Amino acid sequence: MPRLPMPWSKKRGQRRLGSPSVGVAGEFAFSAATFLSGVFGLSLVLISQYAPQQVPEQVSTEAFSSSLSSWVMGTVSVAALVIGATRLVFRVMHLNASDEMRSVIATKAAALERLAPGQGGEVGLPNVPRGKSITDSPGEHLAFRLPLVVGEAGILGPALLALFWNTAWIILLAVVVSGFWISRPRWILTGLLIPFAFIGRWSFLYFLTQMRQRIGVGPTVVEINEHPLRPGQCYDLFVSQSGRVKLKRLSVELICEEETFYRQGTDVRVERHQAFGQILARHRDVEVDPQVPWEQQLRLEIPANVMHSFAGTHNAIRWKLVVKGESRPWPSFCRNYPVVVHPADSTPNRSPQSG
Amino acid sequence: MSRVKIDELQGLEVSVLWHTEGKGDEDLHVHHFQRMSKLKLREIGVENDQSIQCVLPATPLSYHGQLIRLSWCVRMRLYLEDGREIVSESPFYLVSDTQDVPCVASSSEEDVAENASKSTNGVDRQSRAAQTRSALASLRRD
Repeated sequence: MPRLPMPWSKKRGQRRLGSPSVGVAGEFAFSAATFLSGVFGLSLVLISQYAPQQVPEQVSTEAFSSSLSSWVMGTVSVAALVIGATRLVFRVMHLNASDEMRSVIATKAAALERLAPGQGGEVGLPNVPRGKSITDSPGEHLAFRLPLVVGEAGILGPALLALFWNTAWIILLAVVVSGFWISRPRWILTGLLIPFAFIGRWSFLYFLTQMRQRIGVGPTVVEINEHPLRPGQCYDLFVSQSGRVKLKRLSVELICEEETFYRQGTDVRVERHQAFGQILARHRDVEVDPQVPWEQQLRLEIPANVMHSFAGTHNAIRWKLVVKGESRPWPSFCRNYPVVVHPADSTPNRSPQSG
Repeated sequence: MSRVKIDELQGLEVSVLWHTEGKGDEDLHVHHFQRMSKLKLREIGVENDQSIQCVLPATPLSYHGQLIRLSWCVRMRLYLEDGREIVSESPFYLVSDTQDVPCVASSSEEDVAENASKSTNGVDRQSRAAQTRSALASLRRD
């Protein structure tokens, strides 16, 4: 018979009783409520301080006229506001990433090499990117786990939009409520609250959609047995997609892209052209379950007469593996994993497993 | 060098370089540079054939793409006594030991799609090979 957990007893068995997603949603809701109540309370304090004639006489003169009570109320409101906002930002920024992954990202962030024009090349291979960061992480199935280049829209923008808009709406609500309280209603502002509420609802739903995408479409892992790559050679590739999602289509592609920077007036423009594309895998109706991630072993062959990776000051030739997924109800995703291609006869690099 | 008399020359520069052409701003890197003064030119003379020697790097290889074209050349810049400059270039291909022709990008999106199953590109290999061999007759990468 399962034992009910006691608040003062040691946890037994599973450390979590419910779904992690529900926990995240609960924490998010609690943080949002804390933040909004802080905003509401602070608004009332400010109104009582700077517009005391608008505070109702029967109740609030006692509650807000005292300097001490105003300070206490203000401090509590600011604390709630800061704690709620901090927890919200923290939660949003750490969605869908484990502690270990966050630690690795933080460690690598400073040393992450930009595969950008102007970078010095490897010794003996001028203007070829080193790609050192690509081989920093050993793989679980093959020698190297390729790093992801984030190309998707971040979640921070929608989160901040929803947060600030709804904060402004709550402040306006406080002003309107205080107006009704002192029997001097602000009808125009009251009327504006309704369309503003729709915008706030839209921004919040948009943020929720982005968050659901992050949670639903889990991480993609791409591993390769050797790096850098060379024309005419074959390589083993391991691709894994986790999460809880049904994909209409899932494809893995090898792409070579020309990238060029040019000035037009005072603007610097970038133009890209796909010079080479090779579809390594294409699947339909892929069902990904948290317990059973989609995994695939692939064979990657680099054609013999292709250009190596190149990084000049204004021009670059980049190679990358691209995992594309089309899903419902989540938006489609496209994740890029850069690789470096050396000329065919350059000195082979050792894999970490060969010592 | 012909049609230019040695008395008309003030100096001469010979460079082995690569540069990019195309839509983007130009990248240029001089790999070998040699400058000869009038005195030096008088010593060696300009009527006879002269040779230059340099060890070419492994990269970047010659490339013909849609947006980027990477070309190697020997560039000679003559400074005349009257202040004019004459620039002459002799392009060549830098290829790897396993290549006969420089790398060429697919010319269209259809070609890119076609590459899904193929690993070649749509260039006139024979004509390029002939062009390349003649260009490589005197310059080979070490």
